[in-house]
Amino acid sequence: MKLLGGLLLLAAAGGGVAEFHDIAESAGLTHVFPNGGMVTKEYIIETTGSGVAFIDYDNDGLADAFVISGDGAPSRLYHNEGGKFRDVSEAMGVTRGGWGQGACAGDYDNDGFTDLFVTYWGQNVLYRNEGGKRFRDVTKEVGLAQDRVRYNTGCAFFDYDRDGRLDLFVANYLKFSYEETPKPGANPYCWYLQMPVNCGPRGLPFDRNILYHATAKGTFEDVSVKSGVAEPNQNYCLGALAGDFDGDGWPDIFVACDQTPSLLFMNQHDGTFSEEALLRGVALNDDGKAMSGMGATTADFNHSGALSIFRTNFSDERETFYINRGKGEFQDATLGLGMAHNTRFVGWGCTFLDFDNDGWPDLLLVNGHVFPEVERKKLDIHFKDRRILYRNLGNGKFEDVSERGGPAVLDVHSSRGVAVADIDNDGVVEVLINNQGERPSLWRQTSKPAGNWALVRLVGTVSNRSAIGAKIRLTAGGMTQYAEVRSGGGYISQNDLRQHFGLGAAKKIDRLEIEWPNGRKQELADQEANRVITVTEVR
Amino acid sequence: MAVAFAQSDSFVAGLEAFNKGDYPQAEHRLRASRDPRARAFLALTLAATNRCSEAERDLAAAFGGPKNNTGRLAGLALAQCQMTASKWDEAGATLAKMTAAYPADADVLYLSARLHMRAWNDVIYQLYKTNAASFRVNQISGEILETQGQFAAAAAEYRKAIEKNPDALNLHFRLGRALLMSSHAPETLDAALKEFEIELGRNPRDAVAHYQVAQVLLAKDQAKEATAELERALELNPDFPEALIALGKLRVDAKRNDEAIALLSKAVKLMPRSESAHYNLMIAYRNAGRMGDARREKAEIDRLQKVPEGEFTEFLKKLGEKQPEK
Repeated sequence: MKLLGGLLLLAAAGGGVAEFHDIAESAGLTHVFPNGGMVTKEYIIETTGSGVAFIDYDNDGLADAFVISGDGAPSRLYHNEGGKFRDVSEAMGVTRGGWGQGACAGDYDNDGFTDLFVTYWGQNVLYRNEGGKRFRDVTKEVGLAQDRVRYNTGCAFFDYDRDGRLDLFVANYLKFSYEETPKPGANPYCWYLQMPVNCGPRGLPFDRNILYHATAKGTFEDVSVKSGVAEPNQNYCLGALAGDFDGDGWPDIFVACDQTPSLLFMNQHDGTFSEEALLRGVALNDDGKAMSGMGATTADFNHSGALSIFRTNFSDERETFYINRGKGEFQDATLGLGMAHNTRFVGWGCTFLDFDNDGWPDLLLVNGHVFPEVERKKLDIHFKDRRILYRNLGNGKFEDVSERGGPAVLDVHSSRGVAVADIDNDGVVEVLINNQGERPSLWRQTSKPAGNWALVRLVGTVSNRSAIGAKIRLTAGGMTQYAEVRSGGGYISQNDLRQHFGLGAAKKIDRLEIEWPNGRKQELADQEANRVITVTEVR
Repeated sequence: MAVAFAQSDSFVAGLEAFNKGDYPQAEHRLRASRDPRARAFLALTLAATNRCSEAERDLAAAFGGPKNNTGRLAGLALAQCQMTASKWDEAGATLAKMTAAYPADADVLYLSARLHMRAWNDVIYQLYKTNAASFRVNQISGEILETQGQFAAAAAEYRKAIEKNPDALNLHFRLGRALLMSSHAPETLDAALKEFEIELGRNPRDAVAHYQVAQVLLAKDQAKEATAELERALELNPDFPEALIALGKLRVDAKRNDEAIALLSKAVKLMPRSESAHYNLMIAYRNAGRMGDARREKAEIDRLQKVPEGEFTEFLKKLGEKQPEK
């Protein structure tokens, strides 16, 4: 079987490896989502938005789409009607405007319908999903209203105390106000390439991250200080990524931070976290320098059984790929993985996806500079730029196949969030991207890759209903893949909660092991491939 | 007693006028005063009104006196006068004393920068005037352009210099560096590598060129070849901190932790403020299971990376502490 897998790899090498086309127009995703200036940006608030989400809100088995807007237009929810999307924002009560940033999904009230949390500069909103018929803003009644204007960014539902209820982590970028933030050129932090540009993040005051604990009453309690996530508070935090990085059965949180060290909050199993990014090797790059971290994603890319972390950074910086050496000790392996050369991009959204169904998670990142003004300089860095697609070669190396991934990969936009889902359940993942000041991109492959596949949907009963934090170990064709169900991640975006696995030549799954968030294990054997497999937690 | 008061009043009035910038009145009052402090302020007044030759003696006396603000002002005025009179050596000596006495003083540093800038401009002018066709003119132009971030233009100047003097050392090295900085395109790596190799052809004992070759090879995912280049660089210069760090990283990757620790410990000794050296030594210790040593290095990194006090103004710190809009 390994040999067959190798032959599949060889067959794909040489010509095009994928044929991604942008089908957003024909699929009905035609609204433009503003996010500040497209020629100049006066304030940093115009640079960071926004994310996207795939969430099956009505449990019809099709991933619906949510696209977040900056100021000037509402964010929108689209119902998936078999590959076409219909705007249902008004009908579903999802109409908030303002400076929307990120989103994360999870069934916080365990009623069987996935809820949606959206972060803002301003007030966040928790949309409670009422039977798939309507969303209701319950932010205040559940205790998530904030006492001041905050610049909330990445978020993630996760059950950090394993009590069966989803808690909520919210990253904060910095303190911003129109009145007090300096104007372009006002101080040395407001210049780039001898041009006055929007100020920050350096020179702007830090804020702290927030952890909300879900109570038995269905409300949330701010436990940031007593849990330990309020410190350190000298970091400009963006993407939040939950995962059990040390394999101890308790979820941890990685936070990508801009121009400051990234953070890794390790779960201490007693309601507290210990920030250990530096010693664990994910705070800095291999020169000991803090990067401009934006988004972060994670996968067991090498079938080691441990989650490695990938982070997008600024131009003139390398992306950073931290290999998990086991037990949550990481090492910057960017150079050795073959990712040294893409230094001209400002990277944002990132996600692992097995686009060729060979069983090895590939990697997509989307780009776009924070300063539209760079276009005046006629350099090789751009406000609107193409995307980068890395193919996992299965031998510890990635190959940049952007030029061979189809026209959608080479389209130029100023992109931020990216999310993936198999929107038509045909075993091939689609990609949704938020482009600043434009309609989103929706990618589909025109030809189906050769490999077999499985979509695994988990339903918690004792654990949280969304099964967020559940671990899936899938053995097929002689290899074992590992994934976790995750809320949030990437750049402030939400992938479909169902987990997609490419199986290569394997036509059946030999073993499917689920480790639920409470630690209990459940196993299935001899499952047919090429279908959605739903596993409900045995009580 | 009355006379003493009158004298004192005259000094105070002179000082007030000086502080207001009313130099004619200040001069009048300070000349009338018998207060010994008046001489220094009279000298400052004269310097402020372009009469340095009259002022220099008293400025020097005040500067050489007790270390106080009057002495500091006198020193600054003296250096300014010397620079105005093109007495560069004397100004340099005055500013050297000032820097020793007031090492973090912005005014002292500013005047020192102006002095060096002036000297630099004079020398460059002489070079251009007397040797306009020399490759050195192109070389220095390239170096100036690099400091301005104009790397493509710098590369063009280095190419001109190479054309004029193909055998001169360091030109291909600088060209390679400028090429690397001028573009993010992967092809640039090969172009730069070629220049570093030509440099090594002219000077095989150039450890820095070997190091640069290694950096390019690492970016091209050729770790084995990069390792050989770094080992050669360290044979040529065993105290080359950047090469020690780079080779230490490769030893970490190869799980040769003891060798990595030896290399990186030496780098730390050579560059105790290098975050890169401490970081990689921390990782090497950690991977070797020496957690106590790793934590010690982590503490050092924390210290080096601490945000300097005063980076953020008070009003910025308070920003955001307001109630949400109703």
